Amino acid sequence: MELYGYGGSILEIDLTGNKVKKRVLTPEFARSGIGGIGFNAKILYEELPKGADPLGEENILVFGVGALVGTPYPTASRTEASAKSPLTGQFGTSNSGAFFGLQLKAAGYDALVIKGKAQKPVYVLIDDDSIAVREAGDLWGKDAWETIDLLRARHQGVEVALIGPAGERLVRFASIENNYFDGWGRTGLGAVMGSKLLKAVAVRGSKTIKPFDPRIFIEKIKEGRALIQSASSYTAFCQYGTLNATIPYGNFKATSAHNFTKGTLPDWDKTAGKQVVDEYSDRHVACQSCIIACGHWTEIKEGKYKGVKVKDLEITPVMSYAATVGLDTEPTIKATELCQRYGVDLVSSGGVIGFAMELCQQGLLTREDVGYDLEFGNDDAAFKLLEDIVYRRGLGDILAEGVKRAAERLGKGRESAIHVKGLELPFIDPRGRWSTWTLGMLTNIRGGDFLRCRNPVENLRYNENKYDFKKERFGFKKPMYDALDMPDDLKKKAIDLEEDTVDIAVMSRWAEDLINLFNAIGICIRPPVLEKVGPTALAGAYTALTGLKMTPEELMKSAEKTWNLMKLFNLREGENTSEIRFPERYYKVPLCEKVVDEEKVGRVLEEYYKARGWDPVTTIPGKEKLRELGIEEI
Amino acid sequence: MDKRIVIDPGKCDGCGICELVCAAGRSGTWHPALSRIKVKKDPIWSLNLPVVCSHCEDAPCGSACLMNIIDKDYSTGLTLRVLSRCIGCRACQVSCPFDACTYDYRSEKVVNCDLCEGRAPECVSCCPTGALRYERAEYFGEEKLKAAARAAIIEEAEPVPDKDTPGLKRSGGVK
Repeated sequence: MELYGYGGSILEIDLTGNKVKKRVLTPEFARSGIGGIGFNAKILYEELPKGADPLGEENILVFGVGALVGTPYPTASRTEASAKSPLTGQFGTSNSGAFFGLQLKAAGYDALVIKGKAQKPVYVLIDDDSIAVREAGDLWGKDAWETIDLLRARHQGVEVALIGPAGERLVRFASIENNYFDGWGRTGLGAVMGSKLLKAVAVRGSKTIKPFDPRIFIEKIKEGRALIQSASSYTAFCQYGTLNATIPYGNFKATSAHNFTKGTLPDWDKTAGKQVVDEYSDRHVACQSCIIACGHWTEIKEGKYKGVKVKDLEITPVMSYAATVGLDTEPTIKATELCQRYGVDLVSSGGVIGFAMELCQQGLLTREDVGYDLEFGNDDAAFKLLEDIVYRRGLGDILAEGVKRAAERLGKGRESAIHVKGLELPFIDPRGRWSTWTLGMLTNIRGGDFLRCRNPVENLRYNENKYDFKKERFGFKKPMYDALDMPDDLKKKAIDLEEDTVDIAVMSRWAEDLINLFNAIGICIRPPVLEKVGPTALAGAYTALTGLKMTPEELMKSAEKTWNLMKLFNLREGENTSEIRFPERYYKVPLCEKVVDEEKVGRVLEEYYKARGWDPVTTIPGKEKLRELGIEEI
Repeated sequence: MDKRIVIDPGKCDGCGICELVCAAGRSGTWHPALSRIKVKKDPIWSLNLPVVCSHCEDAPCGSACLMNIIDKDYSTGLTLRVLSRCIGCRACQVSCPFDACTYDYRSEKVVNCDLCEGRAPECVSCCPTGALRYERAEYFGEEKLKAAARAAIIEEAEPVPDKDTPGLKRSGGVK
């Protein structure tokens, strides 16, 4: 049976024996996972043996392309990469846009599964049906940008997913870069590629996907565009992208300033405010099919960092390097370039450097231990340390293991190791601001991070924590409530219009499933999309594209199933509830006279687990829930 | 003079929607390679330049065509092809100074933009930034000239249209 809307196969490459296998994508498989993270979770849950060494031959790396990718559905560009994480030892996953997904799908593949380990450095070249594993001896050792230059000169028109020196040296938080300026940053997937001696995957495709009902699908595309352009955050987001949030978080004292010791920095508004975009940027950059184009091309035209150019000045490096490490604007832009060239996660690397700096500040690390003076705000020292980490030199070799293991190896600094389950935490400091995002850092299946619980009504207008960590201010009027694409009974539980509050436990669970759906269907989670495009719009688009009829409820069920599969994966790999807690500092050390109340948050967590149908104490998904989702435990 | 697709590369952000929509509309499938408008990219600079047939007055492709099937339609001013007799030699592609025609590898013929057969061009209606406009070419230049002249004389003038994109407003003023 011909599948509409999809590439049609799953490509499996075993690097040990250079074996290539193409599995036909069946309608059952397609419906079960939708695409993207849905495919990844299913494959890893079913095929990765328990206890596999994340840096060993048995680990499996999967790239799953979103179901809507390859079409002009607005923001349909996203591809998810997943494997067992070398950093957390559990489900590792990251999502990236740009243009890689379209080429992989146009080559005919909805997912790429990489198994085994090559004998010497190789790269994979995918050119429609032709799959080649080629020697990468001349590429190994080069930084990501140099490698892309060489590969694109050699193979015209390819998109490249690759590692830099960090991945080659198995830095536990190494990233997979997506062409020059994008990447699958978190959970150390770059080290997985490095452990397989796989330098790059270069892909180009010339096949076309066929929509089942082009006429209706085009209507759905127009609907999607209209929705996004009507979002309350659309204009502001086009103008300044994620930098809209830097000053608000500074005001909340919820940045990651100086490794989560300060809340904010004195000249934060000047260094990191959105007006910085006007100074350095002159045009927008979009991902495939995007109508927002939140990227702002950034160039430093004079001074110490003259010549540095990157696609975007984004909140992630700004928080990690301007707040955590305390650098100025221009060194922060430079840090973006360095991390992209080295192939290392912006968040984790900033966190690790901040960790080391705090230890120096406390006298737990000396000038001798480091080799040079290391203090917050010193860009030369920060970049020297970053290089030492990437190349595993001296103290860098220990720091390259991530803050959790580094503290263990050093035998000190545990209080300064800011992570959940081993994944270095990004801003927000929950002592400064408590919201669905901060609960989400505890419940995220990939560890300490808020990107999987972003909710459609999030806003930064209020910061009142007077609800015992159970609720946050809704801050909108009835029209927003009415427009929210959520089942009515759930909406009533999630939002109390009279009280003007959002129930964090209920909303978190919905938000996580919704983000999973976005990551399966391949659209972007930026605010204008998240606010307006919901399961109803997506069901219409998906059904028209693929001919596989899915209701909004079925789409959300599939996303919930994916979340549960990842949770089962984690439990199988030894996740235990004692890991699901913040760094001690958040509970014990007041910031602006506030701490996170562990007991109260514990109760909210229980509500969340109940909402998920999981045991509130063990967090294990209940049998009825698994039956409801059609999951057979392995 | 008739309307043409007028391109403002400064506004192009590389989203590629024009390519997908053109391919779907004119070749029946979604793939950028089958689009008649192409976004030339220099990824290291995130530079994006949409290129489409300009229907040149003295079209080099017309002279290059070995089969003599490329001709000016003097009522519309468009450079059109009799595709049934195209042999796919691609001499027209080589001769085009803008690389503005497209090889359709399925039919093995070269095609060019025909402004969606005289209807409103799909790419223009789908462009989210206004980098593509469908208008008389001389008016496009006039707008920019007027704005620059205003800015030179009046201190509080609006920013030159170059940096104005729907949804985007930079802090105003010309220095």
